[in-house]
Parts: sequence; C-alpha cells; structure tokens
Amino acid sequence: MAKLTIDGKQVEFPDGTRLFDACSEVRGEPLPHFCYHPDLSIAGVCRLCQVEIEGMPKLTIACNTTVRDDMVVHTNSDKVKKSVQKILEMHLINHPVDCPICDQAGECGLQDQYMEYGLYESEVSIADKVNKAKAEVIGPHVILDKERCVLCTRCTRFLDEITGSRELGIFNRGDRAEIGVAPGKELNNNYSLNTVDICPVGALTSRDFRFQKRVWLLRSTPSICPGCATGCNIRVDHEADRIYRLKPRRNNEVNGPWMCDLGRMEYKLVHDEKRLKVPLLRQNSELEPILWQQAWSELTTLLGGEVAGVALTSAGQTLEELVLYRLLFGDIFAADRVWGGLSGFGLKESDDFLLASDRMPNRTSLTWLGLREIKPDDLSQKLSGPAQLVVIYGGDPVTADSKLESTLADCDCVIYLGTHLNATACTANLIIPVSMWAEKDGLFVNKQGRIQTFHRAVSRPGETREDWRLLADLLAELTAHQPPTSLPQLRRLVAEELGIKPTSLVSDLPVTGFIPDLSARIPTGGDH
Amino acid sequence: MNQNVDHILSTRFGRKDGHLLSVYESEEGYQALRKALTQMSPLQVTEAVKEAGLRGRGGAGFPAGVKWGFVPQDADQVYFFVNADESEPGTFKDRYCLDYDPHMTIEGAIISCYAVNANLCFIYIRGEFGWLVDRVQRAVDEAYAAGYLGHNILGSGFDLEMIVHKGAGAYICGEETGLINSVEGRKGQPSIKPPFPAVSGFLGKPTIVNNVETVASVPYIIREGVDAYRQYGTEKSAGTKLWSVSGPVKKPGVYEVPLGIPFRDFFYEYLGGMVEGEELKAVIVGGSSVPVLTASEAMGVNLDYEALAQAGTMLGSGGMIIVPQSADMVELIQVLMHFYFDESCGQCTPCREGTGWLYKIVKRLRKGQGVQEDLDLLDQVCDGMSGLTICPLAYAAVMPMKSFLEKFRPEFGALIKETTPVGPRSRWPMGEQEI
Repeated sequence: MAKLTIDGKQVEFPDGTRLFDACSEVRGEPLPHFCYHPDLSIAGVCRLCQVEIEGMPKLTIACNTTVRDDMVVHTNSDKVKKSVQKILEMHLINHPVDCPICDQAGECGLQDQYMEYGLYESEVSIADKVNKAKAEVIGPHVILDKERCVLCTRCTRFLDEITGSRELGIFNRGDRAEIGVAPGKELNNNYSLNTVDICPVGALTSRDFRFQKRVWLLRSTPSICPGCATGCNIRVDHEADRIYRLKPRRNNEVNGPWMCDLGRMEYKLVHDEKRLKVPLLRQNSELEPILWQQAWSELTTLLGGEVAGVALTSAGQTLEELVLYRLLFGDIFAADRVWGGLSGFGLKESDDFLLASDRMPNRTSLTWLGLREIKPDDLSQKLSGPAQLVVIYGGDPVTADSKLESTLADCDCVIYLGTHLNATACTANLIIPVSMWAEKDGLFVNKQGRIQTFHRAVSRPGETREDWRLLADLLAELTAHQPPTSLPQLRRLVAEELGIKPTSLVSDLPVTGFIPDLSARIPTGGDH
Repeated sequence: MNQNVDHILSTRFGRKDGHLLSVYESEEGYQALRKALTQMSPLQVTEAVKEAGLRGRGGAGFPAGVKWGFVPQDADQVYFFVNADESEPGTFKDRYCLDYDPHMTIEGAIISCYAVNANLCFIYIRGEFGWLVDRVQRAVDEAYAAGYLGHNILGSGFDLEMIVHKGAGAYICGEETGLINSVEGRKGQPSIKPPFPAVSGFLGKPTIVNNVETVASVPYIIREGVDAYRQYGTEKSAGTKLWSVSGPVKKPGVYEVPLGIPFRDFFYEYLGGMVEGEELKAVIVGGSSVPVLTASEAMGVNLDYEALAQAGTMLGSGGMIIVPQSADMVELIQVLMHFYFDESCGQCTPCREGTGWLYKIVKRLRKGQGVQEDLDLLDQVCDGMSGLTICPLAYAAVMPMKSFLEKFRPEFGALIKETTPVGPRSRWPMGEQEI
C-alpha cells in the first residue's frame, strides 16, 4: 500500500495503482481526460490529466504515473487549472464546434470539460479552422468526422489491442494528422461500435443512431443483452417508449466496458413491424384479432379441458417465467410432456471475444430447472396421435425446423404465447401476445451461471401481457398452486426453487449479478 | 599519441580517402576495438567512458557512460542504435563524421555494443542523406570482411551484427523513442516515458541510442585513455566538440575544438569573423531549438555545457547559426516556426496545435496584419506548450520563439501597422492551409 496525499486528503492505495484512478476516486469524479481509458494502453497524448506533484519541477500526467509513498498531489491548484485550460484551448482551436448538428452533443468530453475548465471567451472564427473531411462512412456501423477528432487514439488502440483488427490508423502529422481507414479496409468487425462509445467527441458516431435523438432527452435503464449467452451488461437508452440505442454497461466479470454490434441491434426486434400486439384467433382459417376477455376465456377453456398436451418454451424466457411455466404445465400436462425447447435452437458460430455460440440468453436456466430440450423429430413423434394440444411459449421452432410446420398443422390446437408473427405463430390457432425483455423485469442466467437482472425500459405495446402475471393468473385459474402476486414474491419463489437465500434475488442481488452455489438445492418435482 | 592533438574526431575530414578501411587502419584504426575486446571487460569500457566524462552530443548532453549503466545487468537481449538522423536546422556535423570517416563511428559503435552487451546494432541514417547510406554500408561491408563485425570478432567470442537503416525523413525520428518506433515499423513518433529505452526499447528490450559524434568519440577514449581525453575541455564538459557553423562568416564549416573555449576566440580565430560589410547580430549556438543569444551575449560566453546554460541557452547539437545585422529576425523565426509546425508528429495536443498556431501568428505579423496583442498571444501560446508534451519538440519550438520575442521585440513591434483595423478578430489567424 502507498500512503500519499491527494488534494489535502491522506489516502492509501495499493501499490501500482494509477495516479489517475487514485485522484479520480478521491475527487469523486475523473480528472479531465480524453486519451486515458482503463482498458487500453496508456497513450499520454491529450495531456489533460495534469497534476501537480510536490517536488517535481513540472506538472505530470496522472495517467502515466503510479502512486508512491509520500507523494503530495494537487489536482485542483491554480497551476493545474491554468494549464488544463490552456491545453483545452489547444484542443478546441481547430475543432469545428458544430455541436448543433453533432450527435455527441450532451455527452461530449469537449463540451463537459469546457464547462468545467474552459469558460474563456472564444475568439475563434469558423473561417479560420483547419478543414478536414466530414461525415465519411468508414464501415457498416460507423461514420467519421475528422474535424471533430481530438486524436486521442482511443479508437486505434481499441482496434490494435482489443480486436486486433487494426482497421484505423493516424495518417499525416502535426495539425494535419487525422484518423483514417487502412488502405483496402473498412471498419467492419463485430465490435466496431465500441469505437463510437470510447470516442470522447463526435468524431466517430453510430450510423444507426445518427440524427435520431438528442441524447439529453434519452433515459437510461440498466439491462442485459438478450443476444447471446454471454449476457453483456447494457443500458437501454429510450424516450417515449421507443428505444434508440443499446450501450454497454461495465461489468468486469462479464463484458468489461464492451459489447458487440450484433447485440446493439437487438433493440430493433422490440419495435419490429411483426410484433404481436393483440390476441389473435384462427377463425375460418384466418388469424383474426380478438378482445382480451375472449382470448382469456379461449385460453383457459383450452388449457382447462381434459386433453393430452405438450408444452415447449425457449431459452429466451426469463428465469422467473421458466419457473412458473414448469409449475403450470407440469400440473396441467404430465411432467414429461413439458419441454425446454428445441435442442440446437439458436446455436451458431462464436468468436473469441464476447459473442457466444449459444445465441440464447438463458439456456443455463433451462438446465437448472431440468427443462430438457427435445429434438425436432422426437417432438413430431410425441405429437403424432389424436387430440393433441400444443402450447408454444416463446421461440420460433418452425423457423428452426420447417418440418414442424406440417406436424403442428396436424395437431388439434396450437397455442402460441409469443412476441412476433413468425412462422410458428402462423401455425397457431390462438395467439397470446407477450412482452419482450425490454418491456419487463427479469433474470437471465448467462453461460457462466451468473444470475443477472434487467429492468423494464419501455411500455408493452397494445394488449401485450406481462408474462409472469399471465402465467400467475393461469396458475390461479387452473391449478391449486398459490401464485405470487408481486415481483419480490416471485423472486422469493425462484430463490426457493434454486435452494438459495430468499432475499438473494431481491434486496441482496448485486449489480454485477452473482453465481449462486446450487449445491444445497433439492431437486423438485417434474424433473425427468 | 595522435599528432594532431586538437583533432580527435576530424583528423580525416576533408580527405578523399579517409572513408577507406585501409586508410583508417593505417592511422590506428580499430586499435581501440582490439584493445577493448582483448584487454578490457565490458564494465571497464563503460567505466572508462563514464570517467572520461563523455556527454551525449545529440543535444541533451547526458553522460554516455551513465546511460549505458541503465541497462539492466540481467538483460538477455540488448540493442544499440547509432543515431544519425541529424535533422536539427543548422546541424551538419554527424554527416561529416559518416561521410569522411565512417569507420571511426563503426569502431565506436562496436566498442559501445561490447560495453552494453548488444549483439545487434543499427545505424539509423536520416532519409535525406541518401548517398551517406551507401557510403556507410560500404564501410560496414569492409568491416565485416575484415572480421570487425559478425561472429567471434577478433577471436574474442563477441558477436555483433550491424544494420544500416535509412529513415524516411522525419525530424522527430531523431528523438530516441521515435527512432525506435520507426525501425519497428510503427509511425515515427515518440513513446511515452517511462519506461525509458535503456530498460524497454526496441522490441521491448533494453536499447541504447547514441548520437554519431558520441559514438565516434569512444575509440579515442579507449585507445588513448581517459586522461588523454580529459586534457581537452573543462571538468564537466570534457573532450572536444564538433561545431557546424553556417551564416555569413568568412569561414563557415565544421570545426572541432576543445569544449570551453570562448566564443569570441572561436569566432575570430576559427571563423575569421563576419564577411565584409556584415556585422554580427545574433548567434543560435546549438541548433535551431536553443534560445538565441545577442551578439554581445555571445561575445561573453564560453562554448561548454555549463557556461551556455548559465547564459540562458544550450550547447545542444553544436549547430551554430550566425545571424548578421542584415537579417530580419521575424523572417528567421517564421522559417523556424514553419519547420516545427511541419515536423510536429501531431501526437500531443499542445505541440500539434501550438506549433501551427505560432507559425500562423508570425506569418500574420509579417503580412502586416498583426496587432499589438499578438505579441502577448505568442507568449501565451508558448506557455501553453511548455513542458506539457511527451517529447521536447514543443519546447524546441518555444525556446527560439520566446527568446526571439524577448530579445528582438522591436522588430516584431515594427511590423504592426498603425492602420491595422481594430475590431473583432480571431486569435487564430485566417485559414491558410498551405504549408
């Protein structure tokens, strides 16, 4: 441990701690900076994180210094402030100050630091700047404005050090230096939008988000990416029930500060035109919208009848939903006729970074709950025979295996509880619209076995039901179980199911999620 | 003992055959190498160079032996670079060394490599010195053929490979980490320190970078001994120094003189004073990056590290620029400011933006578009660049700018016209993109 003084406070930090991090912690806010990034190498080029260390003749950049015993550091002295102001002025002299048309406005390092340290009278006229290329498309997701760039090299370091793909570099020198794409390349990798996140100014912007929304109008909700089993921690940026972008949220145990481009586009499915918004009933071979009361009575009548059935869900549902699903259908049908989903559904190629081969967010929960997956052929076999009722909750098995289309067509009745009018929905007799991940609270268990929570960001569209309440209502209507009536109650039920502390999924749930010890778990009913 | 006692480095300067191995060998060439490899340990070589007080001749004046001592003792691989990226305006001494006497530098480099236990040596030659690359390469080939390079040199068991590397023509590649980066195939720009190259340099291994003149001084120290070297110069500035002198003096050129001689003597006895009709106005002593001295200041200083520092300037590289009364100091600083604006690598913001800003303000002044406040603005911009960057290039621009402004302010002031319109205007001069 090093004992030192920062801004008059006696503090202790482990040896090797960067002075930048130590100062930021003591101050309660980071030192001014553009180039420093905790997950990238030190560049030391923006020169903004200057601090005064007593005994040193010159100011020192905190990012390239480690804490030492007896250091006396000032981050806010007049000397430091004056120097930061001068450097900031240097950063701004060739900057176009086109904030009114810049997507970064509102979350821009230049703006923030000008308000904190600059506040000098600008005497720079627009005509005097060094001009560079603007709005250059450099890849499928990213657009480059060379004039706004402060040459912090975060993007080039990210592509050198994290993806290793090295698409961008700095060309030319002096104030003609600019970011550019390597000859014959484009910025086209599955992590390209991280460069937009780490760009401290509006030089790199997202083509998807460009000109869509002023960032200060957005509200952020912490969430988990539903795109694969990695479970990257994200935030959902939304306004008026519309999602505009997904951004990574730091969790060093899972995704660090990064996420992949595929994951970032997951929100588009929430607002997809094929979203199911009202219940549909097949009448005269056409799916017709019906009122909710009618849908409820159809549903309870079908499920309440004495009929042999099969239930199939998917690894896209939440842990809570899967617990209720198993409870409900294990009761209505025989336990051995309740399935987790189609085996192999959502399995694709992984990469060597964040994207998992399992493109479903919650397969681990299926395993934990003993909800086995079934091969399409086995399912067909199970469904052959008279008077079959099939309940499909989530997923899209028909798209996964088109043979199932005819199998399902031969069944008496197919009930689909889903979100989109997909191939599976088209085989259904009754469709109940349910909510997507961004419209509800829930738990996903990632491939590490880490339970992570996500929250409702936007409202459910139309007549869409909140899944767990629908399942709880069915439990109350059709079974003898005492259904949960609130989310905390539901979480306690799940905790009990997993054999972990009752509060561990409510008040004790850490923001980074946790990997539970399931050794105390007593396997409960319905397992095969 | 060498007959020409004042000439350690320049005995073969100006001769047509000095670059040949046969000539070099006939004049005690490679004797020092033989002595080092057969009679001295690497540590003894380092100690000798340390005791001789040899200081880096590239500009910083850091003691060479001390720098060598920074290489970790347990290093498994060490690299050595001879820095011949001589690009400082006014400096052309290393060019003479390599052109007229390449073997002396090569011998010095081999001894230096032996001292720091390096088995691979690069001679990094400035891109504009194309012909020099061929000359040095031929000398290296000769040295290989004679067994001074390669495997088991002179039967000592010491191996050394030497590569002549041509730079691509960037001033900043003379900065040692910029030089290393460019040889590694990266953009030629300095790296942040620490770590210093002596600990982690080329390919992450300990690396020593020494200037040509520094390396060329080593054979004499080893061959003739520390005392022989120390008979020249002063206590703290030992040995001789090459001065490359340009400007309207009677005899410009490269001179080797002991450190510590008065500038006045050097000026009159060696340079022959100014050409007819010119008077001395100012002297840039150590290359374009050091603060300028007025004629009267210059006449009072001795040419050694300490005396020049005391006079508020630096010995630097020894690139001496003599400025006559007829010269326009603002024009001269514009040329220099253009140089630093052009050569800034663009990495650190204060240098990238500041060098361009200074250049544009000076240009505006010379166009008669300046105002009185511009003179203060020049000072302010300099303050915003000083000591805030990875390498000293920003400071190299600031030092001449500030000293010119301080010592020749009336010449700047004279460019400001009474009629210059007063009103809203930009601190940042009009957008002139041409370089």
